Amino acid sequence: MILLPRGNPVKENIDPGKVQLPDALQKLQKGNFTGYLRFDTTRGVGILIYDKGRLISALFEGASEREIAYDAIALIFECSLAGNANLNIYRLSSELAMSIHALLHGQVLYKGQEVKLLDIRGLLGKMKEDRITGCLRIYTSDHIALIFYREGNPLGFFHDGSTDLEKSAENSLSVAKLPGAKIDVLTAQISEEATMADLQASADIRALWQKAHENVTRDKRSREAEVARSLEEREKDRRQKVLGLLKGVAEKSLGRIGAQLADKEFNRAMNGQGVVSEVVLEDFYQRLGKAAKLVAGPTTVKQMVDEMQRGIKALMKTD
Amino acid sequence: MDWNIVQLVLWLIAGIVSFYFSIGNARVWTSIAVGFGLILLGELLPQAMPFLPGASSPQIEAMSYILGTISILVMSHGFQEYYVFSRTLELEGNKLLVYVATLGVIFASMIFILINPAPTPSTLKVIRVVEDTNWVFLSLINIDLIRKIYINVKDSPISKGFIAFMLVFVFIFLWRGSELYIQVYDLANPDVSRLFPFRYELSQICSNVGNLLAGLSVGGTFIYLARLLR
Repeated sequence: MILLPRGNPVKENIDPGKVQLPDALQKLQKGNFTGYLRFDTTRGVGILIYDKGRLISALFEGASEREIAYDAIALIFECSLAGNANLNIYRLSSELAMSIHALLHGQVLYKGQEVKLLDIRGLLGKMKEDRITGCLRIYTSDHIALIFYREGNPLGFFHDGSTDLEKSAENSLSVAKLPGAKIDVLTAQISEEATMADLQASADIRALWQKAHENVTRDKRSREAEVARSLEEREKDRRQKVLGLLKGVAEKSLGRIGAQLADKEFNRAMNGQGVVSEVVLEDFYQRLGKAAKLVAGPTTVKQMVDEMQRGIKALMKTD
Repeated sequence: MDWNIVQLVLWLIAGIVSFYFSIGNARVWTSIAVGFGLILLGELLPQAMPFLPGASSPQIEAMSYILGTISILVMSHGFQEYYVFSRTLELEGNKLLVYVATLGVIFASMIFILINPAPTPSTLKVIRVVEDTNWVFLSLINIDLIRKIYINVKDSPISKGFIAFMLVFVFIFLWRGSELYIQVYDLANPDVSRLFPFRYELSQICSNVGNLLAGLSVGGTFIYLARLLR
């Protein structure tokens, strides 16, 4: 789970599967967008960070996977197309975008420390002493605030709704006062923006999108085929059980020829259908009843059909 | 004891039971039941001739033998159909077609008799030999066919009925075989029977007992079948 404060929202709660993402990214590029796109998908969270229209960072983090750059973009596309994804776009200042990029690619020093159990003053002193460049992330389940540090000195604060690094600690520290608040300590190399490569310029985004499309379609087809195969297997198994029961009852009532008649009339009633429906069974009872009259009287035939119907009812309940 | 009256009464019962059975049961029984029912007519006509004014014509006697021939052919056809069903579990046709086809053959036979010269005693004897020959050989074939049907439908409620039918055809074979023997060797001719009195007497007894038991067993078998198919 990637914990980032929500910046200034540009668009929220978009289904990225219904958007032509290459076109949308191109618009962001042409519009010199600075900020980040957050993709919440079933497999994990994807983040694309823009700085003045350049895609400077791409990250995808799932339960057991972490991809960056082109692989992350490809995965974000795939997860978006697979459905059940949510896209939020937030505007940030360039400085904040770079800081967030550094944070996402940094290292975790301490994770999930309870604020109320922590000596904050001691922690800040230690950061200053060790000249740590990075970030303090303070969060609850609903709110997140970041405090950026360069060589042990605070650079600024970032919390939900801000677009730039703020100098006031008020909002950020208010998160620390919330019940259940936790702190992560992260270290990062804050890069100069000039050194950052534009992933969108160096990658064929449309080709990645097309490939993701193909993968998702193939996966979907394969899943559908698997479901169909499994359904077919289950129905075949059910058909065998039903036929076994019908033949057993027919053999008990009419002898060996009864089992043969049940087999034949069942196949005729099925008439190539895959599913043993009520209609099929009704047709079967009629056909068998007619054929069975050649070897047994109406009383025996009726008793046999009644027993079959009871058996099928019980079988359907257990299935 | 008058054998003829006893036999006639038994065939009357058997004929009525088998016709009744053909109406209330599956199509495959129609040919068998109609065939057995026709035996009644074949038996009734010659017995009734002395009492019916104007019925002593050779055409009526010829028709009674032809009816006998049609009856064994129809019932053999019925057993063949049942055998095919027991092997393939397939059955086609309908009851009405069996009734209409049987009536059609009877009608065509009547036309054939009427458009030809009145049958002489010699012609009547030939027609009767043809009838008895059919009965004798088709009885043997039917015994084998019914044995095969029994094997196929063994364990079914109807199966024991087929054992009864085998018994019926054994009696019919005895009855018709004895008659055929008498006809072929002309044992009914007093000149011949005087020379072979034992053979003639024995054949006569076999014929009468066979006829009696056949009538009895046909009626009994259909009543038994009706119980099995309740």
